[in-house]
Amino acid sequence: MRLEIGRINITDIQLGNETSVQNGVLTVDATSLIAKLKEDDRIKDIKIDIAKPGDKVRIIPVKDVIEPRVKISGGNNGFPGVTAKPAQCGEGRTHVLYGAAIVTVGDIVGFQEGVIDMWGEGAKWTPFSQTYNLTVDINVIDGLDPHTHEETVRLAGLRAAEFVGQAGKDLTPDEVLTYEMDSIFEETNKYPNLPKVLYAEMMITQGLLHDTYIYGVNAQTILPALLHANEELDGAVISGNCVAACDKITTYQHQNNSAILDLYAQHGKEINFMGCIMIPEHTTLSGKMRASDYTRKLVKMLGADAVVVSEEGYGNPDSDLLIICKKCEHEGVKTVLITDECAGRDGMSQPLADTAAEAVAVVSGGNVSHVVTLPPADKVIGNAEAIAVLAGGWEGALLEDGSLQCELNAVIGATSEIGYHNVTCRAY
Amino acid sequence: MSDGFKVLYYVNQFFGQIGGEDKAGMKPEFHSEKIGPALGFEQLLKGEGQVVGTIICGDNYFNENKEESLEYILNLVKQEAPDVFVAGPAFNAGRYGVACAEISRAVAEELNIPVVTGMYIENPGLDTCKQVAYVVSTSDNAGGMRKALPAMANIAYKLGKGLEIGSPEEEGYIARGMRKTIIVEKRGSLRAVEMLIKRLKGEEFETEMPMPVFDVVEPALAIKDLSKATIALCTSGGIVPAGNPDRIQSASAQKWGKYDVSGRDALNAPDFYTTHGGYDPVYANEIPDRVAPLDILKELQKEGYIGNVYEFFYTTTGTGTSVSNAVKFGTEIGKELKEAGVDGVILTST
Amino acid sequence: MKHLIITNNPLVAEKYENVLWTDGSVEKTLIIVRDFIHQGYELVSHPLAASLRMLFSPYRSIIIDKKKEKLNFEHAQIIEDSIIKYKKHMDLRKTDEKTRDDYKKIDLLLLEAALSEEQGKWY
Repeated sequence: MRLEIGRINITDIQLGNETSVQNGVLTVDATSLIAKLKEDDRIKDIKIDIAKPGDKVRIIPVKDVIEPRVKISGGNNGFPGVTAKPAQCGEGRTHVLYGAAIVTVGDIVGFQEGVIDMWGEGAKWTPFSQTYNLTVDINVIDGLDPHTHEETVRLAGLRAAEFVGQAGKDLTPDEVLTYEMDSIFEETNKYPNLPKVLYAEMMITQGLLHDTYIYGVNAQTILPALLHANEELDGAVISGNCVAACDKITTYQHQNNSAILDLYAQHGKEINFMGCIMIPEHTTLSGKMRASDYTRKLVKMLGADAVVVSEEGYGNPDSDLLIICKKCEHEGVKTVLITDECAGRDGMSQPLADTAAEAVAVVSGGNVSHVVTLPPADKVIGNAEAIAVLAGGWEGALLEDGSLQCELNAVIGATSEIGYHNVTCRAY
Repeated sequence: MSDGFKVLYYVNQFFGQIGGEDKAGMKPEFHSEKIGPALGFEQLLKGEGQVVGTIICGDNYFNENKEESLEYILNLVKQEAPDVFVAGPAFNAGRYGVACAEISRAVAEELNIPVVTGMYIENPGLDTCKQVAYVVSTSDNAGGMRKALPAMANIAYKLGKGLEIGSPEEEGYIARGMRKTIIVEKRGSLRAVEMLIKRLKGEEFETEMPMPVFDVVEPALAIKDLSKATIALCTSGGIVPAGNPDRIQSASAQKWGKYDVSGRDALNAPDFYTTHGGYDPVYANEIPDRVAPLDILKELQKEGYIGNVYEFFYTTTGTGTSVSNAVKFGTEIGKELKEAGVDGVILTST
Repeated sequence: MKHLIITNNPLVAEKYENVLWTDGSVEKTLIIVRDFIHQGYELVSHPLAASLRMLFSPYRSIIIDKKKEKLNFEHAQIIEDSIIKYKKHMDLRKTDEKTRDDYKKIDLLLLEAALSEEQGKWY
């Protein structure tokens, strides 16, 4: 399988009368975009705005982040199985508006949080302060049930990314990255002495606001599935999860999964990277046992020497992570885990409630309870009331000068458990 | 030298140049001069801080009169109101380490004054204070003084100037168990892949989240016939005969005691009381059996439910006692009980 | 009856019959679940949700199974760890009361997702 990602570097964003990229400036025709999205008659109202790195702008509550792309050859444009007819992802050529992002804002429930600050202290803690963001604030018609509401908002974001991505269709990319891997047997013949490594990606799959889709299939219903490393990088996986702000995997992070990219970079050098196992995180203990057993089986069947396991979410998924770790280690398969931790506001608590002696190699994405102080924004995109919900977390969260104290858990992508961001914890 | 931050120093009788073991019983004293390590310490503060005095106390006196010593020392510290408090270094000296630890903890927690001390990693005082004080990692004997003092002074300097203290590796202190959230150069996934490659190559790697190591004890097999079994009573609740004849410490215990209770029906007051410093003693002192229920055991023996109550009762205090000491006590007590043919033990904690 | 739902969520109590209504906080609900587990009942669903935000919910519903002969130590560990984790977060933080109606709904929907996974299973 061979995938070419053609990067068209975006260095600025503006609204205008056409959707195009010129000299790195992405112009979006908001009127046409709104008209396109409103073809879905469940949508009442759309507000489009932009937020650039350094602007004193706060976006809240963020539902998803998506990278605008267009398919040049191979497969189908869009997200096969969701916004396009089913097709193979991971082949051919895809153009990416690199540096741009679609950020969807939509209140599905009142307690959603998810902050992106484009400047100052808050910007340090989210990778999406560095992207040129087109915000799409989606209001739906009255009377939708919560599932339909969520689906409407989710699809609108994906369609907006498709619409904007079209601007890259006829351009020559600034850089082309090639991801190529033959069958596992051929790669193993090529690199007989390199250790065989799998990536086990856990996904929240537990019901409304806690879902992930692969080719449009709700992953709650699957057994752990083997994917070629190219598929997720090319739109096979999308996020339907919008409450675990700090450690959820946004669609953008699926499209640019850093664990896959960093494993790929070592393929043929230090390791033989064989692919990804997509693991559903169930709410039931029997589901957890089934998924972890099946993961162990795939790891053994493929003869892996080691596996990188990443988590999504916090709470019950911590159990899955450690069960998978134990089962793999007991089979003699070396694991490295990526997770985040809660060490309390002062960092003095024991970080994990669940522990496993087998978890000897763990990467921490940081303390979800670490408190950050966010100064007041000049402009809030989305719902300012969501800030009040955020500030309602404890007494004194809203300071006199209008600054807001919040835990990292409210910041999009802050403690990424696929290792997308640069935060960690050290023993002090 | 009126400018700059103020440092108050604590040392024992030996480093305070009063004398050796023969002077270990001396009461705490305040000297407005810089004595022992305090003398060189000021020179290491880059001219920005001064040592305003030295508190000296005998190791035995402190350990045997903890409450009194602490009260006296805390009052002194309050009067002098230093910006930074420094104790030791105690290296691997047990009594000195416990004194430095207890004082450090009290000064940090009760007076909210930042504290620096120094200890060898196995010093029994370490666990008591490492969360609240900066404990510089030292060698196990005073030969490490020349290395320890600059590290301690450097931290004291930063604390005095309100500067940020770096990582344990940079500053030379023993990790306090705090998880500090920081931003690093490499993203998480890259760190994971690098860790993976090291692990695969059999090279050393360092996890970012060390799992706590729990000591797992296999439960013993059930006693088949209790009516023939000899049961011993053991507590970490600090119940001792009146007068505390073996001077078991009220916290950070260095020893355990055993007492013949074969002729008693209960551990009643005032023959027994608790010396434990970690809980409100009122109810334990009213009826010591509330902590170590000898009365019930004796009743069960009379009823024939158990065969016999072992003639000796074992006791220590659990609060602040280091894990290494607790393991040592347990092993010693267990060995005695096994040799005496005891079948089971009732262990009570508080 | 196969499962018992232990809940403090009125929507769940109205909709289902096999419910033990705890009439209290999430913490109290977790503790009641713990007491059942120590008596030999098994967990069907995990005591905690999958996201931090749901940890701040004033409502939680947990499914337990029939009583077994022996205590399930793994489940005891899970519920004890869950209580520790829950308290660690909530000691400093209030439950999110402003949006309680939304939490009621989502708790119900997540519970139903768990129940649908368990359909047709009997062990």
